[in-house]
Amino acid sequence: MKNNSTILKTLSLAIGIIAYTASFAQCDTIASLCDKHITNNFISDGQDYRSLLLDDEIAEFNMTLYGGSTYRFAACSGLSDGNLIFSVYDKERNLLFTNKEYANSAYWDFKITHTLDCIIEASLDPNNLASGCAVLLVGFKQ
Amino acid sequence: MAIKYFNLRNRVFTLSIIAVLAVSCGGEEPTDNQIDDTVTEDNTTENQLMQIDGKVFSIPSPIQTAMLIKNSGTNYNKDILNEPSNITRYSTNFKKAVNLGIYGADLGYVTMYDQTQDAISFLTAVKSIGDDLGVSSAFDLELVERFEKNIGNQDSLLVLVSDAYKSSDRYLKNNQQNDVGGLILAGGWIESLYFATNVAEASGNKDIIKRIGEQKTTIYNLIKLLTPYYSKPEFTTLVDDLMELNEIYEGVESNYTYVKPTVDAENKTTTINSTTVVNITDDQLKAISEKVMKIRVEIIS
Repeated sequence: MKNNSTILKTLSLAIGIIAYTASFAQCDTIASLCDKHITNNFISDGQDYRSLLLDDEIAEFNMTLYGGSTYRFAACSGLSDGNLIFSVYDKERNLLFTNKEYANSAYWDFKITHTLDCIIEASLDPNNLASGCAVLLVGFKQ
Repeated sequence: MAIKYFNLRNRVFTLSIIAVLAVSCGGEEPTDNQIDDTVTEDNTTENQLMQIDGKVFSIPSPIQTAMLIKNSGTNYNKDILNEPSNITRYSTNFKKAVNLGIYGADLGYVTMYDQTQDAISFLTAVKSIGDDLGVSSAFDLELVERFEKNIGNQDSLLVLVSDAYKSSDRYLKNNQQNDVGGLILAGGWIESLYFATNVAEASGNKDIIKRIGEQKTTIYNLIKLLTPYYSKPEFTTLVDDLMELNEIYEGVESNYTYVKPTVDAENKTTTINSTTVVNITDDQLKAISEKVMKIRVEIIS
């Protein structure tokens, strides 16, 4: 019995590790595909934001956007555009933008007049994906 | 205002307790090695996505502050940079990672000022530390060659440097080294704040002082990003220092007013019209400058 229990634990751990590794390989592929939306007129902020999502889970990204800059957000999941819904809120939770109103556009630009602390929420479009890696990339220009 | 700081302290403490409980609540009594494995697995699961309580925290690019400084008309000042030759001092991965962030900010600064020779020196330092940290794929010879080919084209150089740091961040996330990634971001942020405080003290430029005040949320985000590693001794010192800096920032006033954004759907652009007014006193600025300098000295020495 003890041996069976050990085998079961080892098997579960192995499956968990394989699934987890596969998820991150998926994130890497999606991030590489998403790079094309941060075109050369934007400078990357040097970070790669990602979150594994299941069903109706929501990923939350917290960031500060500086006044006088224009930012491009690129939001991707799966191997094609339009699978990720992203919404931008200010710190008072006023909705500033959602790509849901624009056919889940994979990227959008934001002209910032005054420095702003914002929250970006990302979720999978249930019509397209049930689970997956959500990737957010950010570029800026003055 | 003090409540937020107290909460942050509590969160750091709570996370440390959770880490201990995660180890001590196992079914069978583990051996010492098993305890180590448990801690590693727990940290790996929680930290790979840089998520705390399901949230991901961003640190603004240090290049943006370098741009602001250049655009304010401030002259190039090599003395505020970390000497590339100092890389020989950095023997631990902690020091290497945080100084990779420092040198990245320095590289952005010298590139903004078209200081070609200095840029090559900093790029060489970045490549050397990157190799040591195992992120040589991001800072490889091809990057150096492309950088040299694009000298004179500032925009291309900034894109190249930023993309290299993004590749490094991606590599570290893929390889469960978010602690290293967090330190690189911390180093870059500290260096850019150090630039800003230097220029503010020398020139009194209002835009730069405002930018310093605008770091209030970023320091909070940075602390939350580093908190999962608080139990590691070098992280403890850094996070404690950042919390002291955060305490000063708690006194900085920031008043936000929501204004409805305007949308240009054809060009996929939204203009955010909301306003934020930051009030930072001379005493707060002085205290922030002194604290940032102290943290930076500890990092680069």
